[in-house]
Amino acid sequence: MENVVTTATAIEAREVPFSEIATAMVDVCPRAGAMRALVATVVAVGPPDRLDLATDTLQILGDAGTVRSIVISEGDEAAPSARVAGNTVALKGLKPQYVNNAVAALRLSSLPTLVWWRGGRPETLDELADLADRIVLDEDEPETSWRRAVKLFEATAFSDLRWARLTQWRALMAHFFDIPEVRSAATQFSRLRIRGGDHVSAELFAAWLTSSISFGAGFHVEIERGDEGAPIQSIHLLDQDQELMLRTGAGRTCIETAVSVRGHRSVSRIVALADRTPVDALTEELMIRARDLAFERTIQALVAD
Amino acid sequence: MNENPLNDGLRLEPTPGPTTFVIFGASGDLTKRKLLPAIYRLSKRGRLPAQFAVIGISRSEIDDDAFRTQFRESLAEFAGPDSWDDVAKSLASRMYYVSAETDDPEVYRQLKARLEQINGAEGVLFYLAIPPSVYGVVIEHLGTSGLSRPGERGWRRVIVEKPFGTDLASARALNQLAHQHFDEEQVYRIDHYLGKETVQNLLVFRFGNGMFEPVWNRRYIDHVQITAAETVGVEHRASYYEGAGALRDMVQNHLMQVLSLVAMEPPIAFTAESVRDRKMDALLAVQPLVEDKQNGGRPVLSNVVRAQYRAGWVNGSEVPGYLSEKGVSKQSKTETYVAGRVQLDNWRWAGVPFYLRTGKRLPKRTTEISIQFRRPPLEIFRRASQTSVAPDLLIVNVQPDEGISLRFEAKLPGTRMQIAPVMMNFRYGTTFGGEVPEAYETLLLDAMLGDTTLFARHDFVEASWALITPVIERWSGLGDDVPTYEAGEWGPPEADELVGRDGRRWRTL
Repeated sequence: MENVVTTATAIEAREVPFSEIATAMVDVCPRAGAMRALVATVVAVGPPDRLDLATDTLQILGDAGTVRSIVISEGDEAAPSARVAGNTVALKGLKPQYVNNAVAALRLSSLPTLVWWRGGRPETLDELADLADRIVLDEDEPETSWRRAVKLFEATAFSDLRWARLTQWRALMAHFFDIPEVRSAATQFSRLRIRGGDHVSAELFAAWLTSSISFGAGFHVEIERGDEGAPIQSIHLLDQDQELMLRTGAGRTCIETAVSVRGHRSVSRIVALADRTPVDALTEELMIRARDLAFERTIQALVAD
Repeated sequence: MNENPLNDGLRLEPTPGPTTFVIFGASGDLTKRKLLPAIYRLSKRGRLPAQFAVIGISRSEIDDDAFRTQFRESLAEFAGPDSWDDVAKSLASRMYYVSAETDDPEVYRQLKARLEQINGAEGVLFYLAIPPSVYGVVIEHLGTSGLSRPGERGWRRVIVEKPFGTDLASARALNQLAHQHFDEEQVYRIDHYLGKETVQNLLVFRFGNGMFEPVWNRRYIDHVQITAAETVGVEHRASYYEGAGALRDMVQNHLMQVLSLVAMEPPIAFTAESVRDRKMDALLAVQPLVEDKQNGGRPVLSNVVRAQYRAGWVNGSEVPGYLSEKGVSKQSKTETYVAGRVQLDNWRWAGVPFYLRTGKRLPKRTTEISIQFRRPPLEIFRRASQTSVAPDLLIVNVQPDEGISLRFEAKLPGTRMQIAPVMMNFRYGTTFGGEVPEAYETLLLDAMLGDTTLFARHDFVEASWALITPVIERWSGLGDDVPTYEAGEWGPPEADELVGRDGRRWRTL
């Protein structure tokens, strides 16, 4: 986590004791005295080796001036020093059992707190659920946290960064079902085939679709390994002579969609593949202020399997 | 399965069902500047349905390919140089064109056949981007051809651009004609101001917060100023503008809509009819702009000022006066500036003037609502501070920088008691991240989704014309010269006098 609040940022960083963070935030940020419309606190929590990406992302959000960004890496320090640059604070090597205390002290009052969970001591997730308004999970192997999250759904709103990246794919599949003939054909589909570089994303999509629509008995899900660079490359919902298709186009800047069902003329189109950087995904999460019931239903279906 | 089960997820924004968008006036300026770029951006953001097509209709004798080329050119000019991407190409492949005179019944038979061919008779949204003089012809033909009647599965809606009528009588006649062929809920009278985030946010600001509504009345508010200033002149719209003028072009629709949103009582729910009912109440409370008292046998018009711009300097260059603009009569009395003082007869606003002003060739492009609060009842800092206490201001910026600002007094740091105003700003463009949709995107999507909240209802349009028409008639009966103002200045001295009579000033913009 060496790059935490580096001098690369436009705002000069300062190393201070925890107790002086609030003063330092005012001193080092030239805009701090100006009135701003702040919207939330975003906290990234995780082991040090998983926080580089989070740090860069939160610096971008913090520099925009409307969120307070806090990066906390877990370690064995009870009194870690903090680096402060404007709206961004980084705590390095904090004992996991104090993470919730640090968040409680540093978050903006009366505004939502979003936790970006990059992994760590499982109990910390429970403790943060009592403090945060939203927890966005983001781990390579998320199943343990998903299982824990299911028990915490009543405590706070949960999401997953992979889930945020699936929004557009889900929306495009949903658009097919606005066509009455597609809805009529829903129970006839027998196969869902997903190809992509991230098996977990494919599982999430499949669980969402199969928990939303009652397909017939014998419905089969196939997940094929695709290119590493694209979590999802294509999705086909099929029957013998009917198909709903979504796939990334050349250069992966767009998604091609096509629908072919009985009783309806085939239609196809191309839509832009939206940017899904962590900044975009977190920005989407910041726009959502309620529990994501579709996500909860999907995760419950996944962990029940 | 009647409902789409996949829409049950809070981050999936509603998307209309299968839709064909039919544009009358497909080769016109509005289509190129606003409609086609808005459709492209909606498509880019995945907000259009999987089954979507555009049919353009106009007199130009072009084919589908030429219409697609026009789409490409429109995007290049108004949606950015990189907009001819795969999304645009895919959209273009679903664009069709019918070359026709709008008064030819054969056109509507062709259109019907084409709709069946490409759409399967599902949702159809007609957009009248044509001169107001032919609205009636198109509405009548849509009705008599059966195109206005919803099918078993599909809806039919028509969007009508402003101006909806040219006076009260013509607006009533047009409403009557529309209602012969469409139900009111099928008619979407568009006012693009209502699609702006800040204007919609005015409802949230007032009725989603508990702290503002209690002071939103005559007890705490001194007066309200609504300004819609343009730097442009009449441009290429002289033929329309000569017959319209600022009163018809801006006040009857945009400013009256904004006024009603500021002045309305709280609706009982955020539903189209509830919101529109309360807006209507506000408009009905507006006192007539032409006073009953007579002056030399004529009704008095002391609350409205008109003017026309002279040559001057705007946006860094010299500009001609209105009478020298191409297409403008040398004897024209068309007003390019209007200022008005409006009073509402209700408990909330009795005695609180609403000052409205709009004009072309003003120093800067800005639209805002400025709410000036009353001064504190006792100026306890008068002796201690050399500066006087300025009244608190709440400013709702509608364009170009959408947001809300609050100006209040603060003590200057130091041992002396000095007071100075400070401004607290909230800006849509930067606060939440992501793109703020253009007004036409919002409104087109709402019309496809069947949400009429942000569209004008027939009775609102007529009530607005009922206020404006006597002013038009009074002006047309005057032989006087129209006052002038230099392009690049904030209107004529008469406008300052209008506000000055009440001991107030226009806000410095």
